[in-house]
Order: sequence, then structure tokens, then C-alpha cells
Amino acid sequence: MKQSASPAAPPAPVPARPRASRGTVVVVLAGLMLAAVTIASIGLGARDISPLEIVRILLHPGAEGYNGDVLWTERIPRTLLGLTVGAALGASGLIMQALTMNPLAEPGVLGVQQGAAVFVVLGILFLDTSGVQGYFWMALTGSAVTAVLVFLIGTRTNAGSSTIGLVLAGVAVAAVMSSLITLLVVRDEAVYAHLRFWSVGQLTGRGQFLGQAIPFALTGLLLALPLGRTLNLLSLGDETARGLGVRVERARLAGAAVAVLLCAAATAAVGPVAFVGLVAGHAARMLVGTDHRWSLPLSMVCGAVLLVGADTAGRLVIDHGEVQVSVMTAFVGTPFFVWLARRRDLVRM
Amino acid sequence: MPQTHVQRADRARSLGQASQDTAAELKAATAARLRAAHRAGRRRARLVTCVLVLVLLALLVASVLLGGVRRIPAGDILPAAFGMRTGLADYVIFRIRMPRALAALLAGALFGLSGALYQRLVRNPLATPDMIGISAGAGAGATTVLLFAPAVPFGTSLAGIGGAFVLVAAVLALSRRGGGVDTYRLVLVGIGLSAVCTAYVNYLFTVAGQHGIAQVMRWLVGSVNDATWEGVSTLAGALAVCGLCTALLGRSLGSMALGDQLALGLGTRVGAARIATLLVGAAAAALATSVTGPIGFVSLISGPIAVRLVGTDRSVALAVPIGAVIVLGADVLAQHGPVISPVPTGVLTALLGAPYFVWLILRRRQGATP
Repeated sequence: MKQSASPAAPPAPVPARPRASRGTVVVVLAGLMLAAVTIASIGLGARDISPLEIVRILLHPGAEGYNGDVLWTERIPRTLLGLTVGAALGASGLIMQALTMNPLAEPGVLGVQQGAAVFVVLGILFLDTSGVQGYFWMALTGSAVTAVLVFLIGTRTNAGSSTIGLVLAGVAVAAVMSSLITLLVVRDEAVYAHLRFWSVGQLTGRGQFLGQAIPFALTGLLLALPLGRTLNLLSLGDETARGLGVRVERARLAGAAVAVLLCAAATAAVGPVAFVGLVAGHAARMLVGTDHRWSLPLSMVCGAVLLVGADTAGRLVIDHGEVQVSVMTAFVGTPFFVWLARRRDLVRM
Repeated sequence: MPQTHVQRADRARSLGQASQDTAAELKAATAARLRAAHRAGRRRARLVTCVLVLVLLALLVASVLLGGVRRIPAGDILPAAFGMRTGLADYVIFRIRMPRALAALLAGALFGLSGALYQRLVRNPLATPDMIGISAGAGAGATTVLLFAPAVPFGTSLAGIGGAFVLVAAVLALSRRGGGVDTYRLVLVGIGLSAVCTAYVNYLFTVAGQHGIAQVMRWLVGSVNDATWEGVSTLAGALAVCGLCTALLGRSLGSMALGDQLALGLGTRVGAARIATLLVGAAAAALATSVTGPIGFVSLISGPIAVRLVGTDRSVALAVPIGAVIVLGADVLAQHGPVISPVPTGVLTALLGAPYFVWLILRRRQGATP
């Protein structure tokens, strides 16, 4: 972020709001996309259910029948969970990118989700934790510890630029964390297989966690919404923000806390899913520009669309069984990551 | 006045003579000092190599002997190690422990070699096969063949090499920008592409049948648990071939360290030598990965340790025994360490290597070469 050299000409306090017409277009478009993936996620799956039948089941919630069961106990909760988790990851990614001023920042890339996973495993093994509620508090602790660790290492590296330092720190911490997970569970084959399954983030069979996950995710999302203005001010640089009356450290801490909360809620519910925050954050900024009051809500929508879309696609790409959503997001997110890494301004020596 | 002039000229001449003498002496002294340093370096390298070989032998013995050999008569152990006994001794020592120990040793040597080659070539300690995604590519290729076409002879090794070459080509192509390859971009692109390969192997894990799960698990966390003699012979062959190629490339590597212009002046075909080095390094990492799975951070830490012990010139050769010591030591610890054992070998190398990696990115001065 550039700061104005001359004190006499301070930079514009906040980036200009997008023109009203464009804002409307983006909002309508986002709503349409959201509706489209929701309908697709409810309507498409391994079991073919005709659209008419689906409408009939939706209109008569009490009706009996196997198709009704599939819809009400599996697909609808799964879709709602996907929307919630996707929104949480999207917002978390955008806040992390804004706070670190690092285009590659994201809870998965920085290893924060792996840290959350380690603590969940610790909880399962030693504290008899079960259910999303229990997972959540462990995941929250793990995310916070890991985020602090990665940030401390990442800002002190000598790796050319802090962008790369943070990513390298994330890779190293993630490696340690996943080794710790293996170390903790390797002696029990059954637990190992189960956790391996959990540590590949997916939505399969997590529908029942919806009720437990919603409160945490919604709290995080509601806390995130008013952050837009603060993030705008912080993005002007510490000096300017301080001059404009922002308590920089406190604002940073609040933003980071919300990002960690969102990441923990998502990870506790479905396991680590990387790249959603990365892609959602950038997509939102591409659509409405750098004003975080607009891009933050939009990053939630983008995250939800991406996660539910990837999950639905994962159900359809192979005939029997399905591809986990985290595998799908990796295939979507990596080209994006590589494209970002190739940007000229990213690698500064 | 003329007298003084002559005297002055005389004095100047004698002074010139003296300075020429001192220059010659200085030159000779410097040359002698350089020769002495070279000799000292060689002596030191020899000493370090001897120590490493002794450590390796001790680790080999420990790896074969540790853990319940009481039921095997002491006199049977040595013959059994060479396949000259039958029954329990043969089974435990020759079929399980020897291949495991040798696979760890050879794979470590290959990881060390490939890491040192890449670090030397790119002149950055971060540019190792596991950081830029080569091991992940090899793992993805090898796992695919192992699950879907297990009967193909040498299938996993060949698919591992194939995956590694595809990945190295992709990483190089994608990180090229404005005519040059930036190390950090190389590492970032590699991190991205390894994420895809890891996701793919993760996916295979969930579709693999009961039998396949153990196999895929090995590619998620490297391990020498199920090493066989076939694996050992693959690794030994790989080490022989890659070692030979490295020896042939040694001179070019040395001159390329002086910079491309000087290397060209010295008659090195820089482009060809660079591609050859990349391929040898990728093949070494791929073959080791195809047998043991990705044993992380070994290629990263072997090179810098070698540099610290004997200096840059001899580091590539020394990284080979250092890698072997690291993996064999980690494997002995993984099998018999107190509290933690048994764990996959890759867990230990990651737990030891990642903090070192953090230290490396924290401490490295800009522009420092490995």
C-alpha cells in the first residue's frame, strides 16, 4: 500500500464507493449465483430426483417417502452447512488478506486450519471432545495459537518480501501440525483412518452438525460485517490510519480475532478446506473494488457460492461416490494461487 | 642536481625491484595458502566423510539389532543379514529389517543428493524437490499406478519419474516470467502445484479399497515400513546412476557457481548442464519418493548442513551421506524412540526439519548462497 509522501495532500480517506448502477448489478448477480448453486445443490446428486418431485417435497415437508428423507435429512442441511461454511471461509480470507496486506493470505495456505485440526485431535484423544460445539472451542484455540505463531515467524523472515515469508511460515507450520496429527493418532488404525477422513475437508455426512455449527458461524459473520470501515482505514497504512483516529493495534487485533473465529467455526464443522478464502476474497475485490464495506459481504457470498458449487460438482464428476469438497477447491484454487504468484508485483527481492 | 637525479632513479629502480619481489613473494604465499586451504578442506571433507560412514554403520547395526532379537541366536545375526540363514532369523533380519534399513539409507542419500543439486543450481536453500513440488508430483504418479495398475513391472518408479518430470516442467514454465526464473516464484508455484498433487492423493485415499489404503497412506506420510529388496535394488540402482551423472556434471556445476558469463567463458554449456542437473535431481527425488513416499525436509536440510561442515565446493557429495544419516537415524528413532514409536519416518523428519526450515527463513541473509 502506498502512502502519500506529502503531508499536505493526504490520500482520500476511503476508496470511492462503486457507482450505484454497478453496485446493483453486482448485488443482483451475486443473488442469482447464490440461488443457482443452492438450487443445484438441492436438486443434483447421486440419486436422481425429478424437479417436480423436489418442488412437491418442499411444499409438503411432512410427506413420507425415501426421496423426502434424502432431501430433508441430507441435501438441504448439507447445502445450508455449505453456504454457512463457505461464507465464513470467504470472509476470513478477505480479512486476513486485508490485515496482512498479503494477496496470498488465507486460512488454509497459512496453516491456521491445520493448527485448528491439531487441537481438535487433541480434544478427541485426551478430553473426550465430540460434536461441533466441543470441536469449535478446540479449533478456536488451535487457530488462534497457529495464527499468532505463523504471523510472528512470517513477519520476521528474510525471504525477500513479507508476502512470501508469511506463506513459507505457513507451509512450515502446516507441516509440523500435520506431523503432530499423525504422531498423535498413528497407533490406532481405526482412529487414524477416521481422522484422515476428517482431515480431508468435506461436507458428506456433516448435515447433522448444521444446528451446532450455525451459532458460531453466524456470530462470526455478524461480527465481521461492521469491520469494513476499519479495514478500509487500516489499508491506508498505519500512520495514516492513526492520523485518522484509528487505534491501529486494537483494530488489527479485533479483525484478526474475527478472522480466526470464522476459520475455527468452519474448520470445526467440516475439516480443513483450503483456497476458498483466497479465491473468494479476490473475486469480491475484482467485482466491487477495494472498498471493504462492499467487498466483505460479497466475499461471504463468493465463498458460499464457491464451496456449494464445488461440493455439487464433486458429487457429479464421478459415477459412484463423490470427490470431497476440499479436493475440488484445491483443483479450482491452485490455478488461481499460481496466477497470483506469477503477478509482477508479488515477488519483490 | 643530475647526481641527485641519478640517485633518485637508482633508488626508484631498487624500490621497483623490491616491490616486484614482494609482489612475487605475495603471489607465491597466496598460492601456497590457497593450496594449504584446499588441502585442509580436502582433509576436513575426508574426516567428515569417515565420521559419517561410521555413524551410518552404527545406525545400520542398531536398526538391524534393536528390538527383540533375543530369540535369534547371536551367531545367526550376521549370516542372516546376508541371507545365509533360514526360518525366523531369515525372516526377521533378512526379509524385514535389512531392506528397511537399506531403503532408509539409500532413500536418504537420494533425497540429500537431489536437494543439494537443486540448492546448488538455483543458489537458494529453499529450492529443494519437496519445496518446489517435485516429490508431490512423484507421489501422485506413483500412487496412481500403484492403485490402478499394480502389476506393471517398475510401474511405480516409472510413474514417479514421469510425475516428477511433468511437475518440474510445469513449475519451471509457470514460474518463468520476463525471461528469468525467480526462486521465490519457483517456490510459490511449487507450493501451489503440490497442493493439487496432495489433494489428488487425498482423494485416492478415500476411494482406495481396504488393501490400497495402506499403500496410499505411505504417500501421505513417507515411511519405509514395507520396504522390500526390490525397492532396495531400485534405490541402489538409482543412487548409482544419479551419483555417476552428478560426478560427470561436477565440473559444470563448479563453473556455473561463478555465474553464467564466466561459466560460458570456461567452456561450460550452461543451458545443457542446467537441464541435465534439473533432470538428475528430479529423477533422484522421484525414485526415492516412489519407494518410500515423501520423506519431507530431508533434501532441504542435508545441503545446508553439508555446506556448514565442508564449505560449498564439496557440499553436493557430502549431502549424500548426510541425507542417509538423517533418514536412517529418523527411522531408528521412529521405530524405537521412547514414547513416540512406532511412527512413520516422515513424521519425524518433518518434526525435525520444519523448525530448521523456520530457522533458515528467519536467519538467512539476502543473497547468501547455500
